[in-house]
Amino acid sequence: MPEIPMRKRTWAERLEDLPPRNFKAAIQTLADIIDTPSADGLESCVRCGLCAESCHYFLDDRDLRSVPAYKLNLIIRIFRRQIAGAGRPRRGAPGLSAAAIREWADALYGRCTLCGRCMVNCTMGIRIPSIIRKGRAVLASLGLVPDGLDSTLATARETGNNMGITREDWMETAAWLEEDLRTETSDLRIRMPMDAAGADFLYAVNPREPKFYPLTLTAAAKLFHAAGRSWTLSSHAFDVTNYAYFVGDDALAARFASRLREAMDALNIKTLVLSECGHGFASNRWEAASWLAEKLDREVKSVLEIVAEDLRAGRIRLDPDRNPKTVTLHDPCQLVRMGGIIEEQREILRHCVRRFVEMTPNRKDNYCCGGGGGQLSMSEFAARRKSAGRIKAAQIARTEAQVVASPCHNCLDQLADINKHYRLGVEIKSVLELAAEALLPPQG
Amino acid sequence: MNLLRWAVLTAGVISLAVLILRARWAAAFGRPESYAPARGSARRGIIYALGRGLLPWEKESARLHLATYVAGILYHAGLFGAFAILSAQAADIAMPRPVAFLLRIDLALGLFSGIGLLIKRAARSLSRFLSRCDDYAANLIVDLFLAFALAASLDARAEVPFMAISVILLIYIPLGKIRHCLFFFRSRIGFGRLLGRRGVLPPGRASAS
Ligand code: SF4
Ligand code: SF4
Repeated sequence: MPEIPMRKRTWAERLEDLPPRNFKAAIQTLADIIDTPSADGLESCVRCGLCAESCHYFLDDRDLRSVPAYKLNLIIRIFRRQIAGAGRPRRGAPGLSAAAIREWADALYGRCTLCGRCMVNCTMGIRIPSIIRKGRAVLASLGLVPDGLDSTLATARETGNNMGITREDWMETAAWLEEDLRTETSDLRIRMPMDAAGADFLYAVNPREPKFYPLTLTAAAKLFHAAGRSWTLSSHAFDVTNYAYFVGDDALAARFASRLREAMDALNIKTLVLSECGHGFASNRWEAASWLAEKLDREVKSVLEIVAEDLRAGRIRLDPDRNPKTVTLHDPCQLVRMGGIIEEQREILRHCVRRFVEMTPNRKDNYCCGGGGGQLSMSEFAARRKSAGRIKAAQIARTEAQVVASPCHNCLDQLADINKHYRLGVEIKSVLELAAEALLPPQG
Repeated sequence: MNLLRWAVLTAGVISLAVLILRARWAAAFGRPESYAPARGSARRGIIYALGRGLLPWEKESARLHLATYVAGILYHAGLFGAFAILSAQAADIAMPRPVAFLLRIDLALGLFSGIGLLIKRAARSLSRFLSRCDDYAANLIVDLFLAFALAASLDARAEVPFMAISVILLIYIPLGKIRHCLFFFRSRIGFGRLLGRRGVLPPGRASAS
């Protein structure tokens, strides 16, 4: 008899079928991954509730389960009963029930984008997103990662990138983009260099770029070429994203991050430049070195820093009249509030668009678009994601801009979704796209 | 009376010892190394987090809840005032009249704010939803502490109940939420260090309106 393959149970089924109790291993996982800043935070919350309105979920649905302090206190309850003081699970203390795990799953995956807005507004300065990531890691240890996110992770694990693009497809795409660029610019020297050893930097992209948005990839190539930059792509590792970051799996995140580092070593390159990707920046620039315990002399930069440097040095010139529409900017949380890349995108936009208007609030206080924290991959919570995007939609509408720019592909996807959903009638573009559209030929 | 003074002193020492232990427990989890080179300054971030970053024009949550924010400040100021009175009484030091007068105003405002915060906690659905027994107990104990400090500053007969409630408060501090008196600093330092290194804090320009 041929074996009938077992259907993998869905996230909802897995949650439904949880045994009523006995999650000691999960509590041990929590005890193992808590660090001092998290423990300080878990001991600090005074349940003042002042963080409520900082969360776009709560602003949208006014559901008390969307209040950041509620999400945080789900973990605090277990931490204080089970771990605080002892540093390991305590015998006899009330544990983690199946009902509690379901609450965790709904709140920590379904009501949070890890945007960090609550952290900057918390009376105590508690690192709430980092603690929520730890809660997600506990759920992941129980096999409770939402299906879409789980399959994105599996694809990245198996193929080296989150979209399952093969090496051949990637190289072919780069080659035809190079041809297109040469035709478009009538410049035979413009390149999409692949595996160029000793280049000044390795450029890592979001797999959405070769797959769906090749224009942002060619935009980068045009800007680098105009500035006379020596750069390269790698045929082995090109994915800037790191979805393990969203599930708090630091070991897997380290494995993903090491791929780009290995590609740099193979090509003898010391600088990694990251395409427009919020969490790609936060994970590769800030977290990867700690995950990998790496003290090497590498530099990790956002492409925005490179383009802004080239503008300042006069290596590229942009003509704002080529972008006559009013443009506003969405600040990706992981790049700006959690990443520190705050002014570069503004500097570029001021050079390449005729009228730039800020959203209010902006920079570290900006609202999340609603697509962060892996939400775009979690179909389970798609309706909530779109609904919570209402806050961003209202912010965009208030600017009366015709174009919304954002230096993050995840954000661009969510912005496109809310543009349709709330009938905003705006154009959604990346910052590099706008810069490339305004690019003037080199002087002389 | 002497016995009560000794009780206050003993409770204070126990309280401090348990707080130090709790801080050591938290420190024992270990701080992850920050290997990534800094973009900003951890020191400047910490200074911001403990200073300017607490002001309402820097923080939307404080701006949106200005009355609660002000009540919180007055409440804590009252608490410090009450501890000043407790220390003076325990050490048998007579307060100069103007200082005592100012402290009474401070205590009255603190008490008024504390009761207001308690009512808000019980009345507002969001606060009720988040609150646990600890939140109500801590507020009540501190309110009583302020009330008896005020009474003791006016009438010597209130000194005994004031000392008694002081013992209860001191024992409660490390066991309940009032231990945030220590963890507040640890958390805010951690927050300032994180976003200071990353160049997010202190913010360069006005970002909210
Ligand atoms: S603002 Fe901070 S301390 Fe207050 S309830 Fe929210 S998380 Fe807790
Ligand atoms: S990190 Fe963002 S989404 Fe998550 S609870 Fe805080 S404000 Fe809400």
